[in-house]
Amino acid sequence: MRRPRAATVRPLLHPRRALAVGAALVLAAGPVALVPARSPAASAPPAAAAPAAGDRGTQLYLEHCASCHGERGQGAQRGPSLVGVGPASVDFQLSTGRMPVSREVQQARRGEPVFSAADISALVDHVASFGGGGPRIPRVAPGHLGSGREIFAANCAPCHGATGAGAALTNGWTAPPLYDSTPVQVAEAVRVGPGLMPVFPSQVLDDRQVDDLAAYVQRLRGERLDRGGNPLGRLGPLAEGLVAWLAALGLLVAAARWLGRRAGE
Amino acid sequence: MITDRLARALDDRLRLSPIARRAMAKVFPDHWSFMLGELALYSFVALLLTGVYLTFFFDASNADRVYHGEYAPLEGRTTSAAYASTVRLSWDVRAGLLIRQTHHWAALVFVAAIVLHLARIFFTGAFRKPRELNFLIGVTMLTLALANGFTGYSLPDDLLSGVGLRILTSVVQSIPLVGAWLAALALGGEFPSDAMIPRMFVTHVLLVPAVLVALISLHLGILVRQKHSQFPGPGRTEHNLVGSRLWPSYTLRSLALFAWLLAVLFALGGLVQINPVWLYGPFEPAQATSPAQPDWYVAWGDGALRLFPSWEFRIAGHLVPAAFFPGVVLGGVTFLALYAWPFAERLRTGDRRQHHLLDRPRDHPVRLGVGVGALTFYAVLTVAAGDDIIARLIRVPVYDLLSLFRVLVFVLPLLAGLVAFLVARALRRGDAAGVGELTRADLRRAAHRSVRPPEADSGESETPARDRPGERIELWPEGDLWRWRYRDEDRQVVFPGSRAVRSEEEAASAARLAYPGVDRVVVPGPPPAPPPGPVRVALRRWGRAAAAGSLLLAALLDRRRDRRRQERERAEQASSPEAADRASTGGGRT
Repeated sequence: MRRPRAATVRPLLHPRRALAVGAALVLAAGPVALVPARSPAASAPPAAAAPAAGDRGTQLYLEHCASCHGERGQGAQRGPSLVGVGPASVDFQLSTGRMPVSREVQQARRGEPVFSAADISALVDHVASFGGGGPRIPRVAPGHLGSGREIFAANCAPCHGATGAGAALTNGWTAPPLYDSTPVQVAEAVRVGPGLMPVFPSQVLDDRQVDDLAAYVQRLRGERLDRGGNPLGRLGPLAEGLVAWLAALGLLVAAARWLGRRAGE
Repeated sequence: MITDRLARALDDRLRLSPIARRAMAKVFPDHWSFMLGELALYSFVALLLTGVYLTFFFDASNADRVYHGEYAPLEGRTTSAAYASTVRLSWDVRAGLLIRQTHHWAALVFVAAIVLHLARIFFTGAFRKPRELNFLIGVTMLTLALANGFTGYSLPDDLLSGVGLRILTSVVQSIPLVGAWLAALALGGEFPSDAMIPRMFVTHVLLVPAVLVALISLHLGILVRQKHSQFPGPGRTEHNLVGSRLWPSYTLRSLALFAWLLAVLFALGGLVQINPVWLYGPFEPAQATSPAQPDWYVAWGDGALRLFPSWEFRIAGHLVPAAFFPGVVLGGVTFLALYAWPFAERLRTGDRRQHHLLDRPRDHPVRLGVGVGALTFYAVLTVAAGDDIIARLIRVPVYDLLSLFRVLVFVLPLLAGLVAFLVARALRRGDAAGVGELTRADLRRAAHRSVRPPEADSGESETPARDRPGERIELWPEGDLWRWRYRDEDRQVVFPGSRAVRSEEEAASAARLAYPGVDRVVVPGPPPAPPPGPVRVALRRWGRAAAAGSLLLAALLDRRRDRRRQERERAEQASSPEAADRASTGGGRT
């Protein structure tokens, strides 16, 4: 599905022509834009009649989601059903930029979110209206680092790595790096279990433990943790070995050659 | 002044000067590849220096200890004393992390330098008689370096190294009959045993370093006794050694290399993070992390374990586990082959003579092919140990990658070895000086096996290099005496013979000793000096121009000074007639 996005088209225009077009658009749409108070300027085509706030979710859903997930979220060949996935799942997929995807993929990659926060919450509400319940968006409180580290080591490190750098799973799936995740996204992923990730309901990890976990993952993201210099992507000993060979041995052999050549003169 | 008196006092009591004089006069070859071993030696020195600092703060014990310090996620957590003290060392001890990281980088560079040194020895045939013994010592030191690297990597008792130790224990246990006993003997019980860390610590800081120091001394002692080998070249024979003396030139060069090494290691230790154990967490047998790799020098074993199919079978009721072949057999075969190579090659070529002149790698296409193939094999295994990292980075299913590596591990070494063999043969048969100058015709000729190389088959003779056009010995009479010199027109090199001799025959035999296999011609008189190079011509011209200019300038200045003096005198004349009178008479007298 191709998304019409004004933001990607605009830089292609010639600056002077863009100015002229922009001025014309402002003149034409200005009076219209004044009427609806909450119209986001970037994504809404100005010519379309601005819907009421409650319909925004419906409109976005129909534009961006319905072609794969079905008009009432019943699912289709190209996309799974959204009935009962829960607000946490919808918020996770949209706020990490994994949805919408432009083509069918096994595992969507993290990216910049397409929608604004208000649009996401409108979509979340619309999908929730399909019924079926599902986990709510968790509210994350500050947690305890020590307990978070232990929960992380026991439950998350086997796939995401003790450093949170991510790792390969079976059949081409990967456990992604955790360095861009916000606390809410971490908590959502724990409760929802996107992709191959197992679900951790509140019987397994209670809300306090999830708070601790989110706090530790935030700590893993932090810059101060990388004591001792460049972490080399936190990929472990083989990346270190590569640096030892290329940087250290390269420099030292060059030095030896230089010293040897000077001796020959 | 003080050193002078001290040296004198020591010499009076210990009679050191003969030894010192001989030591200072030891000659080292100038080729850069002879410094690779020194890189390993100096890395070892750096390891000792940084390692001593670490022992002040490391607590080698499996006992429980509560961590209190700056690293908040572990605050108040009970871990093993080894782990807690390593985190303390990294976060709370001044300069602890710098020294720890430098120590680890030095370990990586130490083994890498040994491997490079070994490759140089192997490809140039420096392991041949009389140096087999030193080769065996060197290979032993490589195994000890691997062992010490692995124990050092496991000492912090973190999750990543604990997984590695678990794998190594399993490999040892996979040896039929004795495996389980060996593992229990080494660890003092079942795998996560309480004796594990203290035993590894003693091995790491005492046993292996002591043996290494002894072997290094032996290695260097034998080296001094046997003298260095050297690459063939003008003026270099089996009986001499061309290079720089230990004092002062080689000492300075070697110290410069040491300074380079320390600079690089400490720069890495300060700027690039290595083995962040606080992130890995303490080792718990029930936990795991991913991706998990060992340090690069044992990663080939890990790669072999990943690639080898899980074949298990029973011999007389005893299970042979899957880890036996890739773990035990491959490792054993690797080092046995290394130990046996000098003797195998001697058996194959029947060459029992002493060799002090090195081969160029191209002189032995088979050796080069085997060596390049083996290096490629281990390189592919090392890369295969990182298959999960590669799978995540390039988003390919990890099992597809595994199948690909299973093919590559056989195909790439064969291809690389074959290419190396052909290139070596083409270089040997053709006229090209380097790989860059090879033509397609050279390669085509190398592919045919019928052509015998023009010179003796394996370069054991004293022939330093094949006859190059433009290389010759010139002899000429000078009064009653004869002189000679070596001249290479292509490279514009001239080496005069050092002594004048009585007869043409003597001159010819002296030249033959120094430059065997080079054509000799008698020329009527001392040949003119070769035409100077462009730089020298330019310099000379500049010098002449500068000299002429400065002469001109001097003349001008002189004239001006003269004129000024005359003017001054004239002025004085005008002011005092007496003086002018005197001056004029003085002027008249001259």
